[in-house]
Amino acid sequence: MVENFALSLENVEKYFPPTASGWRAFVHPILRLTVPALRGVSFEVKQGEVLALVGANGAGKSTLLRILTTLLIPTRGRAQVCGFDVAREPAKVLLQIGYHTGADSCFYSRLTARENLVLFAGLNNLSGAEASRRISELTGPFGLGELLNRQVRTLSTGNIHRLGLARAMLHRPSVLILDEPTRSLDPLAAAEFRRFLLQQIVGVHGTTMIFASHTLAEVEQLSGRIAMLDNGRLLTCDTLAGLKAAAGADTLEESLEILTRRASRETQ
Amino acid sequence: MKNSPQFALTLRKLALLFRRDFAVASSYRAAFLIEIFQALFGCASFYFLSRFVQSAALEKSLPAGTNYFSFALVGIAFFDYLSVALVSFDTSLQEARQNGTLENLLVTQTSLPVILAGSSLYPFVLMSLRTAIYIGWGAVLFGFPLREANWLGAFLVLGASVLAFSGLGILSASYLLIFKRGNPVTWAILGLSSVVGGMMYPISVLPVWLQHIARLVPVTYSLEGMRAAILGHASTRELLPSIAGLLLFAVILLPVSFAIFSWAVRRTKITGTLTHF
Repeated sequence: MVENFALSLENVEKYFPPTASGWRAFVHPILRLTVPALRGVSFEVKQGEVLALVGANGAGKSTLLRILTTLLIPTRGRAQVCGFDVAREPAKVLLQIGYHTGADSCFYSRLTARENLVLFAGLNNLSGAEASRRISELTGPFGLGELLNRQVRTLSTGNIHRLGLARAMLHRPSVLILDEPTRSLDPLAAAEFRRFLLQQIVGVHGTTMIFASHTLAEVEQLSGRIAMLDNGRLLTCDTLAGLKAAAGADTLEESLEILTRRASRETQ
Repeated sequence: MKNSPQFALTLRKLALLFRRDFAVASSYRAAFLIEIFQALFGCASFYFLSRFVQSAALEKSLPAGTNYFSFALVGIAFFDYLSVALVSFDTSLQEARQNGTLENLLVTQTSLPVILAGSSLYPFVLMSLRTAIYIGWGAVLFGFPLREANWLGAFLVLGASVLAFSGLGILSASYLLIFKRGNPVTWAILGLSSVVGGMMYPISVLPVWLQHIARLVPVTYSLEGMRAAILGHASTRELLPSIAGLLLFAVILLPVSFAIFSWAVRRTKITGTLTHF
């Protein structure tokens, strides 16, 4: 009964072609896919659940999120969002998801915040009236009031990320996908951003959320379950308490260290 | 003497900055090669232009009642439509990649072809405005003949040209998607078209073998039709061969270029280079 899950991954594998430079770059698009990024990843996320992806750089977190956003096609296996296959039904998947990365530059900086939102609302099939109504609805909770008529280039990084979240929520997605959402925020702004995610996105809207993060406090604060990736493999997908119990550790950091070491010993 | 270590240090910094730019530029080897061939196309264009302006038969090769100024103005103004068609898709992709909006655009419920087509509308409108201003200045200040032009015919030729050129533009964008930079499709089409397409001189001044190649380039039909409509006062019926030629290019190029573009998008989703630059 895969359809009951907001997200479902069955044995997902992703391989890339080897990096090529110089004249070899001309054959890069047709090179064999030999570099593994994800290997046999399977898990499900229930409606309204918050799942954190953790792991070292290159563990496969962003690759997994990009597969869910249809920006990448898995090499093998099946990934579904709200019952729709990301490779075969990308248009239906895009109806279900909102996506925001922690990148500072993700808007048209010379347009105002409102102009940006109106543009992306239109590209998400909202009519002019719907877009206005939705922007008004999001303005209060997202604290965008005075910012809407300012050019994006004049906004602080924290406010740009609030705007990014508002954009991701414009078309009322069932699943919110965030790739290191607080990576460029200072600690205070990051804490405020997390509170906002918990209260508004998860609390009020009940949106399913999957996010990648290197900030363990954030992972502990936001997630119901934690999926740990190492070299493209899923080591575990459990609650914080389950993870600590499996590792026999007191903290998340310790648990991650122990589980990673254990996995590397097993693969040797 | 005190200044000489400072001077040497500054020289070293200048050399380092030059070496930085050279290293970055030479990592895009195709772009380097393209520069060499672009110079060849530029040189060839000037050679044929000189043959034309030195020729005693110059007057005879122009449409009746016009001069070289009118001929060249139409050539330059409308050749730019080809440039816009080729460059606008590339530019919108590059800009979206560079300002970080490409991923956000791609996860909307709008397909990439629609995003690219929409993003090229403004450059086309701007180009049309620029062309109108060019011709307006030409008419007001330099006697460009406007009164007897067949504007309906000119618009039909322009519409057919935009369709044909868009096919080339989509091919060019496909190359950029896959290879990221140094687009030889754009320079090859623009370079060849500038030599054989009749922008600055009639194709009759070209060697016969190049005249045959000119028939394989859509801009030839576009400029012929445009000059016939605006300068030669041709009726719409007389413009049909040019329009039919352009539509034939469109019928062949648009499906082929869309198929290649779809393959390119899918391939970049497999190789993971869709949003790289």
